[in-house]
Parts: sequence; structure tokens; C-alpha cells
Amino acid sequence: MSEIRNYTMNFGPQHPAAHGVLRLVLEMDGEVIQRVDPHIGLLHRGTEKLAESKPYNQSIGYMDRLDYVSMMCNEHAYVRAIEELLGVAVPVRAQYIRTMFDEITRILNHLLWLGAHALDVGAMTVFLYAFREREDLMDCYEAASGARLHATYYRPGGVYRDLPDSMPKYQPSKWHDQGDVDAMNEARQGSLLDFIWDFTERFPQKVDDYETLLTDNRIWKQRTVGIGVVSPERALQLGFTGPMLRGSGVEWDLRKKQPYAMYDQMDFDIPVGTDGDCYDRYLVRMEEFRQSNGIIRQCVEWLRSNPGPVISDNHKITPPSREDMKGGMESLIHHFKLFTEGYCINAGEVYAAVEAPKGEFGIYMISDGANKPYRVKIRAPGFAHLSALDEMCRGHMLADLVAVIGTQDIVFGEIDR
Amino acid sequence: MPTIEIDGKALDVEKGKMIIEAADAAGIYIPRFCYHEKLSIAANCRMCLVEVEKAPKPLPACATPVVDGMKVFTSSPLAVEAQKGTMEFLLINHPLDCPVCDQGGECPLQDQALGYGKDISRFAEKKRAVDDKDIGPLIETEMTRCIHCTRCVRFGQEVAGIMELGMTGRGEHSEIGTFLGHSVDSELSGNMVDLCPVGALTNKPYRFSARVWELADHAGISPHDCVGANTNIQSVRGRVKRILPRDNESVNQCWLSDRDRYSFEALNSPERLSRPMVRRDGQWREADWETALHQAVSGITGVIENHGADRIGALAAPTSTLEEFYLLQKLMRAMGCHNVDHRLRQQDFRDDDESIMRPWLGCRIEDLGRARAILLVGSNIRKDQPLLGLRVRDAARGGAKIMAINAMDYDFHFDVAHRIIAAASDLPGRLAAVVHAAHEGSEVPSDVAAWAEEAEFEDAAAIASALKDAGEDAVVVLGNAAASHADASVLKSMAQALAQQTGASWGCPSEGNGAAAWVAGCVPHRAVHARPATGAEKPVSNAMEMIDRPLKSYILLNVEPTLDCADGQAAKQAMEGADCVVALTVFDIRDNVDADVMLPVAPYSETSGSYVNCEGRLQSVTGAVAPLGEARPAWKVLRVLGNLLDAEGFDYVTSEDVKNEVAWSQMPILDESPRCGVPAPNARRRPAGALVRIADVPLYRVDALVRRAVSLQLTADNQPAMAQLCAEEAQRVGVEEGDRVSVAGAAAEVSLPVRINDSVPTGSVYIPSAWQATVPLGNSTFVKVSKA
Amino acid sequence: MGASIQHYIKSFFLWELVKGMQVTGRHLFARKITVQYPEEKTPKSPRFRGLHALRRYPNGEERCIACKLCEAVCPALAITIESEERDDGTRRTTRYEIDLFKCIYCGFCEEACPVDSIVETDIHEFHFENRGENIITKEQLLAIGDKYENQIAAARQQDARYR
Repeated sequence: MSEIRNYTMNFGPQHPAAHGVLRLVLEMDGEVIQRVDPHIGLLHRGTEKLAESKPYNQSIGYMDRLDYVSMMCNEHAYVRAIEELLGVAVPVRAQYIRTMFDEITRILNHLLWLGAHALDVGAMTVFLYAFREREDLMDCYEAASGARLHATYYRPGGVYRDLPDSMPKYQPSKWHDQGDVDAMNEARQGSLLDFIWDFTERFPQKVDDYETLLTDNRIWKQRTVGIGVVSPERALQLGFTGPMLRGSGVEWDLRKKQPYAMYDQMDFDIPVGTDGDCYDRYLVRMEEFRQSNGIIRQCVEWLRSNPGPVISDNHKITPPSREDMKGGMESLIHHFKLFTEGYCINAGEVYAAVEAPKGEFGIYMISDGANKPYRVKIRAPGFAHLSALDEMCRGHMLADLVAVIGTQDIVFGEIDR
Repeated sequence: MPTIEIDGKALDVEKGKMIIEAADAAGIYIPRFCYHEKLSIAANCRMCLVEVEKAPKPLPACATPVVDGMKVFTSSPLAVEAQKGTMEFLLINHPLDCPVCDQGGECPLQDQALGYGKDISRFAEKKRAVDDKDIGPLIETEMTRCIHCTRCVRFGQEVAGIMELGMTGRGEHSEIGTFLGHSVDSELSGNMVDLCPVGALTNKPYRFSARVWELADHAGISPHDCVGANTNIQSVRGRVKRILPRDNESVNQCWLSDRDRYSFEALNSPERLSRPMVRRDGQWREADWETALHQAVSGITGVIENHGADRIGALAAPTSTLEEFYLLQKLMRAMGCHNVDHRLRQQDFRDDDESIMRPWLGCRIEDLGRARAILLVGSNIRKDQPLLGLRVRDAARGGAKIMAINAMDYDFHFDVAHRIIAAASDLPGRLAAVVHAAHEGSEVPSDVAAWAEEAEFEDAAAIASALKDAGEDAVVVLGNAAASHADASVLKSMAQALAQQTGASWGCPSEGNGAAAWVAGCVPHRAVHARPATGAEKPVSNAMEMIDRPLKSYILLNVEPTLDCADGQAAKQAMEGADCVVALTVFDIRDNVDADVMLPVAPYSETSGSYVNCEGRLQSVTGAVAPLGEARPAWKVLRVLGNLLDAEGFDYVTSEDVKNEVAWSQMPILDESPRCGVPAPNARRRPAGALVRIADVPLYRVDALVRRAVSLQLTADNQPAMAQLCAEEAQRVGVEEGDRVSVAGAAAEVSLPVRINDSVPTGSVYIPSAWQATVPLGNSTFVKVSKA
Repeated sequence: MGASIQHYIKSFFLWELVKGMQVTGRHLFARKITVQYPEEKTPKSPRFRGLHALRRYPNGEERCIACKLCEAVCPALAITIESEERDDGTRRTTRYEIDLFKCIYCGFCEEACPVDSIVETDIHEFHFENRGENIITKEQLLAIGDKYENQIAAARQQDARYR
């Protein structure tokens, strides 16, 4: 009789279900996982060190590229750290815009998670539907910032530009005549806020569709219920945050517990799970869709009726308007200095975190008084989650590993930094 | 000592200090534009307004002396408001030029607008505009930007010693300008660019070529004169863009001469040699290093085999580094040859055996500024060593008596208490008269007495007594003209006699980095550390003899013999007659030098090396940028030549190794050597009808680099070669300004334009060296001038 | 008890799968959202940040004055500028290159430009076929600016009041 021994297997870094460049070394006993050893670092770009080598504002764009499916939330944590160090006041309108875009980002992130998770587990359709909705939200990103993903929209002191009054429109082509195009442009007739409003009107119905496809689906449930169970105690011990933690039944959400931006003005609930398995985390995120949708609607209503500045008028920090810059000596000097040297921040340290879609995304920043940070430490939620992969998968079948990776919502941009 | 309080910090301050000085010492920054610690106080920018307790209104910190018990607040609401208001007024007329202004990024106006000003402008009216002035090739003006701090004006008046810029008009009509049609010609003018707190005066050669944030800083030492000025070489992507002073109170303070500052243009000159070149069959062609080195080595060994090792010689430019000097002499001596020298312009080597181990200034540079009496002999110190000139001016302003014995009445920027102007050939006699006077009846050494035929000279006694009065605080400085004088050893010996008699110190600093050459043994009769060179008992050739008794092979280290040697004509012929001339050169010198191999070497910005300045200060730097193309640091080239010639001990890895071998720490202390006896006056009397030539090297012709610095060549200080005569002499010759004269030397005749210059004494003519046009005159002391 | 029977029946008749099929079935007949690229394109915001261009003044003079603010602010160090004094005494670039591989399209260069010279156009369909083509030169940038000036100007005009 031949000797039976465990089998070591590489999963990734180029496996279609490995979400980016995840590489796992699996120790298998037949189909059963004995040990999971995640190997990270394949997407390491030294963002922290990059940020320490350039003026504060120049790193905003690099924050987008950390968790590249929740761009503005990362920016939010970064600019909040700077703002707290500077003690600069942010106009209320900017705070509302940030709150709104944080929630748009949450929906964007969860849509990608949903599509990818379902696809990994074997459901193709949701993926396509999710991307359809993402398209609208990325149009919002583009309309506000000019980029569909890497927005670089938040600035210390506010946001770069106010929301536009009009949306770009489809043009007739040989595929779609004027009538078709009119229908396609129906939601684009008004401002960006109108477009978002229209989206929030449509979106709950879409969430229902996803749920119809998945929530009761027997295959989906077979693949997720009871998989990757984490007890509330362990979840806390493992440093889980966000839906991973709430799925285990711990009611913890920075938006409620340490409100920032305009969250203390918002009316929303935190969904929590009971069993801490993949299915509960799925349900939590599905409910977050609806809650985010509600927050966006509250923001849109406020923003519609409250015009105002969207960035601080302290031009020692924020560049003056282009018109001023071209006409005033002081403004030109401030423009010149801000774009070459940036501003200096008094020595100090700060930790600023936001409830990113994946959990607590934090920036720990030390200033030594120079125009660039002395130290930036990025607290990425995915890193803590991935470290628990071994514990969550042990004893499960190989196929369940894919479901657990999906439920963790792994994005390597933030884990490897 | 008054005790004051600035921002709650108690300070003991010397009486008479201003608040701003006390604050600076305590590390509290008060904004300022017009205040500069090296300049007088103008208090006209009002930026430094601070609140002083019990004073009814804010006071300018730069012009308010400290008083015991004073309480100063630099950032109280009143002070901040005052500074904001001042800043707003300063910006009212400032043009929106930041994007096109070279000062942008290093502009105190910007910095302080950001730090102390408002962030928006309330001024909607028209701004004034001021015409730009053309003030020369080195400084670009944009006078609309001027905020009238008058730093440049005060620099001219107080430091550079000539008021070339001044302020006219009042209020909004104030303008900084030159006298009508004049340019700013000071040899220190570049410092005005540093001082200007806005972009009104900017560096012209650097104009628009880089931004301050791109520039990488590298510490450098300027090689052009014996001061060893500390520089900050700034480069972008491997190209030197500009050179700024690096503060060193004991060397260059915060100043830099224009020569040190603007010579960088030559580093980027199109004449730079970037690949080795060899000449075969009269044709120059590019070669790789191996080919070129082998051709050089086979040429040299061929000469050694056929003619003997003493038929080769090496000449090094005085601007070379200690390491280069050392390796060059080591290489030569390894081949059994002591013909190695850097004293290219020296003509009199009679005191070689007695000379001290390295030339020096006679005192520390700082002490020169504190001296109470300074006698300059054959020295145009203002132009030849501009930074030493500044120290002499400092001394003069401190009440020192400055005296001069010169061949022409140089235009100094300090008052000269006593001056003796005599034909160059008569200088030893005049100095002898001073020595004579210093002895006051006691017996004058007979060798000196022999020179002083007419012991009574006007001012001689006055000079001697001034030196005596100052005692130890007196310095006798021999300048470049004295060092290259045909009777240099006589002048030096007499200066020593004078110093001994009066208690003064004396010195004769070398050109460039010459002191390092002596340390490294790059002289034929001395090895490293002035040790006697073994084997040098047999006749060896110094720089002069190498040219006068032509050798078969020459190794040139950054030398253009025609322009760099005392007798350019002879040097040219010597090169033409040689079998093999290997030139280690920064530039393509094929038009100037009849070389066979040109090996591209790195200029001072591209090589590590050490410099010894005129006070014996050893300063080492690393290369600022990588060598251009295939050029290599000369020490590496010499190392490889040593290896190829199978010389021992050429296994250096870094230039540090070379420096350590010279072992500076073991340097003996400079001892006063016994005075060299003065040879009897020779019978070189002026032939009838001849004029004595003053053959000074103009300051922007001193070395190969400076000669290729385009902007420096355009300055007023760099007049093209002319025959300069006083009006009386010109009348005698029958010429006027602008006419041409033919000047006949011992061997040849040249035609030069005439310029009337009354600082040239009668019987003399000033015909500068280091110009191609005057090379044929060689080193003739006497020339005949006639109307062409 | 009733619930579990109901659950049993539902599950026996594949109820949730039928509901799912209904959703997909509905989409089968719904209006398609497909955009037939490249004949048809999705709309683009005037703020879109795509390929760079250097603009000129209407008289044909290049706007760029070589102030190098864009070079200084570029987080990715993608811009390389060399400048000198042109014969007419103005400050001009002799080299203006953008490495499009390094560029992160953050738009800071456009924000920094005091003369509206460097802009990010809404062109996003570009590719390179050879090594080195990713570095676009001043001439190429000016050519892009010349070709799309109307479009660029219109977009800036539309967004002017927000900047």
C-alpha cells in the first residue's frame, strides 16, 4: 500500500479565482484543506514610502490605487488625516459631497464584490447585472472628477470641484437612432445630482433582482451557508472590520461609532449577521446596498438645496481659483508655492479612519513640520481579513476556499500597498 | 549686557545689537527683505516690523537696538497685522511673473507672501512698469519686480567697493539703475543676484534653464585662484547649471567672485572633448581609450628608449587637484624623470632650493581682513584674487593702511595710503628702497643694498614705518605679477627681509591650486612634502627650462602651453618640435596645441579631489556630476598610464587612496626658511626707445576653463588684447585711442589697438598675456611700440 | 409547521430557480444597454482626463512658458522639461516630454498650469506599437493640441466656472 501524505498545491498568483495576484500555498489532504498560506507582496508598490517622499497633495492619487474598487474612500481617509493635522475647516457642502461619494463608492465596491463572488461560486448572471449598475456610478465619478476610477477628487479642505450642472449625453449613431438615444439620455437631462437621484430610484429594484437570483438559490446557499464561520470573539481578535465583522454579529461601524463627514446627520441602520458564515456576510452587504442608497438620497436632497463653497477658502492650503490666480499677485504666489512645494504641516501625528466598504481603512500619519509626511502608515482592512484565511478555510473543501476568498472581498492593491 | 525677551524667551544680548540679530541668534525668524547681516541697515522694506512692549506702534526689528528689559513680540496680532500690511504693499506693484521668473521657488518674496501675507489680493488698479536695464553679460534685470530693498546698492557701496547701482526717484517712481549707459562691472557682481530677494536681478547665463527644485546640490571648491572658495555646484540631469557660494566664514564668507561663479559655462562648452583623439599621419581621429592610451604610452616609451628619460617633461595646470599633481609627479619619477612642474608662468626659479615647502599668503585669510597694514607688491589683488581683495578692503575699512608697489596703478576698491608705481623691471629696486628705509640706519643686508641705488624714494619711508607700526598685524603680499616677475626670487627675498625687519608676515600665494602641487611634489626639485627628490641632483628642468630647452615628449595636464606658459611663443615651438605630446585635456585643444594624443579628462566639477588654498587649508570634494561622454577623471587616467608604463604603486581604487598616500596629517608645520640671498642686479637695462611691458594675465584669461566661459569673456573686465599706454606715452609714440600700434618683442612683432590708460606709468605699456594676439611677443620684458 | 411545508413545496418545485429564471427572462426581452463600440461611444464628461496636449494661443504662439509647475507637481515624475531663453527673450521649453507609462492621469499638471497650456483631453483611445513611443514629445503634444483645440476649448469653457 502506498504511503498517503498531504499534498502541497499552489493556488495563484494567476488563478482566475485568486482575485488579482493572490498566491496561496495549500496543504491538502485529498480535497480537504489542511493549511492555507497566503503569499503576499506581488503588488507591492511602496505607496507608504512614495507618500513620504512627496508633498502631501501629490499622494492623493496614489490612495485611489490602494483599494482600487473603493477609490474615494481611501482618499477620504488620507485627506481627513491631513485635515486633522492642519485643523482646517471643511465646508459643509464638501462634507455632503464626500458622504455621498463615499456611499456611491460603497455601492461600487459591493457590486464588484457581488459579481465576482457569485461568479467564483458559479453564478454568471449577477456579474453582468452588477457591472451594468457600476457603469452608471462610474459615470458619476467621471462627471465629478474626470476619471472613472482613479478620481483624485478629494482635497484637504474639501473637494476639487463642485458637482456639474449637466451630464454628458449619448449621441445618435447607426446603432441607435434619435429615439433610442433620447431614451438612453432620459436620466441625463438634468444635473449630476438628478442623475444620481434617478439611479437611487432604480437601484433598490436592481438589488431585489440580485437577491432573487441568489438569496434563496439552493446552490448559492449550499456554497455559502456554514462556510468560513467566524465567531464574534474571533472576529474581534482577528482584527476584522466592516462587513466581515458585522457578518459575525458585532455591531461596529465607524460611520455610527466615530461619525465623520456628515454621517451623524444621516439616517441609516447597520445590518449585522448572526452566524458569521459567508451567507451572513452576503446578506449584510446586500442590506448595505439599500442603506447606502438611502444615505445617497439624503445627501442629494441636501445638496440640491444648499449651494456653497466646496473647498476651504484658506489659500495657504488650497489653491486659489484660476481666475484669482490669473489676476492677483497673492493668489499667483500661493498657486505657485502650493503646486511646487505644497504646504507644511506642524509637527504632530494623527490617525484618521473611515468606514471603507471593506472595513476600517485608516491612515496613520506623522508630520515633522515639513511639506511631506515623515511617516504614513496605511491600515488596510483586507490585510487583517486575509490573515484569517487559514483559520477560515481549515477543514473546508478546496472549492470552499474560493467562496471564502470571495466573501473576504480581497483587493490586492490595499493589502500589498 | 542687556537682557531682553523675544516671544517670551529671555535672551542676553550684546549692547548695540539690533532686535533682528538677537532673534536670529536665538533661532527666532523675523521676516526681512532689506536686512542682510553683511550689509548696513537700511530699514526700508518694513517687513521686519515687530511689536515692542510700550512702543506705540510696531518697530522695525532690523533698526531697533536692544534695550535692557525690552519685550519683543514677533507674532503678536499687531506684528502679524503690520507684516501683512507691509506684504500687501510690497506686492501691489509686483508683476505676475512667478511662472516665468527664475527666482520662482527660491524667492523670499514668495516665501514671505506665503508665510506672512494675505492669501488674496485687494489691489485692482494698474501696476507700474519699469524699463529693464542692460547691465552686462552676467546679470539679467527685470526691474518691474524690484521692491527697492537696496541690497544691491548697498552691496556695491559697501562690499564690492564701487557704487554701480543706485536708486533714483521717489515713492512709486523709485528705480534702481546704473549710471547712464554703464554696466555693472564689478568682479563680484554675481553676489547681487544672490542678495536680490526678488527676481529683479537674476543670473544671466543660467536664465530660464532650470528651476531651483530640480537642482541637485554638490559641494565644490573653486580652482581658479588660491582662495579655494567653497561653492555649491548645482546640476540638473548631469549638467551643471549654476554655481553658488557655500558659506564659509574663514574662506569666502558668503561671497563668490564672478570668475568662480560663471566659469561653469565652460563645463558645458561645445569645445569639451568627450572622446579620446589620436593623430595619425597628421589627421585627428576619434579612438577608444585603449588605442589612445597605447599610442600615448608607446610614444612616451619610444622617446625614453631613443633619447633617455630626461627628455620627457610634464606640465600641469595650477588648477589641477592634489591627487592629479601627485600622480603626475609619481608617474614621471617612476619613469626616472623629474621634469614635472606646474609653475607655468614663473620665470625666476633661482630660489627654488631655499623656498619654503609651499607658497602661502603669509597669514590666514581671515587675518588679512583684520590686518592693520598691508603692502601689496606686484599685485592686482582686486582682480587676481577677488575674494582676497574683499578682505583687503575689509581691512582698509577697518582703518588699515594699504600700500602698493606696482607696475601700474591698479584701480583698487580700497584707499591706498602709499603707492609706488614704477616700471615692472624697477620693482625690485623700489622694494629694496623700502627695505632700506625699514632698517633706519642699521645695516642693510648687502645683497639688498646692491639693488637700492637710489635709496630715497618718496613713500618708501612711509611704507616702512606703517609696516613697523602695525608690527605683527602687517602683511606683505606678493601678487601674481610679482610671482611671474623676471626677478621674482629677488622680490620674494626682499619681502622676507622687509618682513624680518618690520615684524610683518609675508607671503606669495600661488596661482590656483599651486600650494597643493608643492605638497604633492609636482615641482622638479622636491618630492612630496618638500622632501628632496631622490635622483634630482642631476640637472632637472623646471617649467621654464622645459620650454626653453625643448624636450622630446611632453605630458600636458590641462595646459594650453601657448596661453598658459610664461613664454607662449617658445612653448608653442617646443610642442611643435616634440616627438610625442600627450595632452590630458578637458577641451579639444587641437587648434592651440600641437598634440599627438588628446585624452579627455574631467574638469573640477566632474572629479573628486583635494585643494590646498593659500592659507594651507586642505579641502576635499567629490565630483558633482558624472564626466561628460567618455571623459574620465585625470587621476584615473594617470593611474592607468602608470599601470601601462609598469610603474609600481598605481593600484589606487579611489582618489581618497591617493590623498591618503600623500598623508596630509604628516605635513610638517610651515617653518620660515632662511632668506634666499638676492643675486646681484643684472644688467638688464631698458634698451633705448623700448617700453617695459606689463604682461599681467587678465582675470578672465587665467585658465582653460575661464577662457571658455562665454559670458565672462563678454565682460568689461575682459578687454581684448590691447596695448595700453598713458596719454603722455601715446603722444610720444604718436597714437591716439583706437589707433593701431605695432609692438616689437625680442622675436616677433604684433599689431594691437591702442587704449589710453593713465594708470600705466610712462615708460611702460600694458599688453596682457594669455591672448593669442600677444603670444608672439613671448616673455619679452621690453618691447618697442611704434605707430602701425 | 406551515412554513416548513411551504419551504418543502417551494424547494421541490424549484421555486427559487423559477424566480431567478423570471429575472433573466425579463432581461432577455428588455431594452439592451449594450453600446456598440467603436461605432458608438459612451458619453464623456468635459472633465475627462485622458491623453495630454499642449495648447497654443489663437495667434499660433505656444502657450507653454516653461514655468515647470507641472513638472514639479507631477506625482509620478512623468514630465520632463528643459527650457531656455528663446531668441525673442521669452522663456520657452526646448524639450517637453511626458512618459505615458509613468503618468497616472491625476490632472495635477492641468491644475498647476498658469497659462492653460498643458491639458488632459478626453482622448483615451491611444496605443503604442514600439518601445519608446510611450514618451510623447513636445511636437506630438502640440500636434494633439492643434488637432483637438476646438474640443479642448469647449470642454474648458464648459467647466470654467467650477475651477
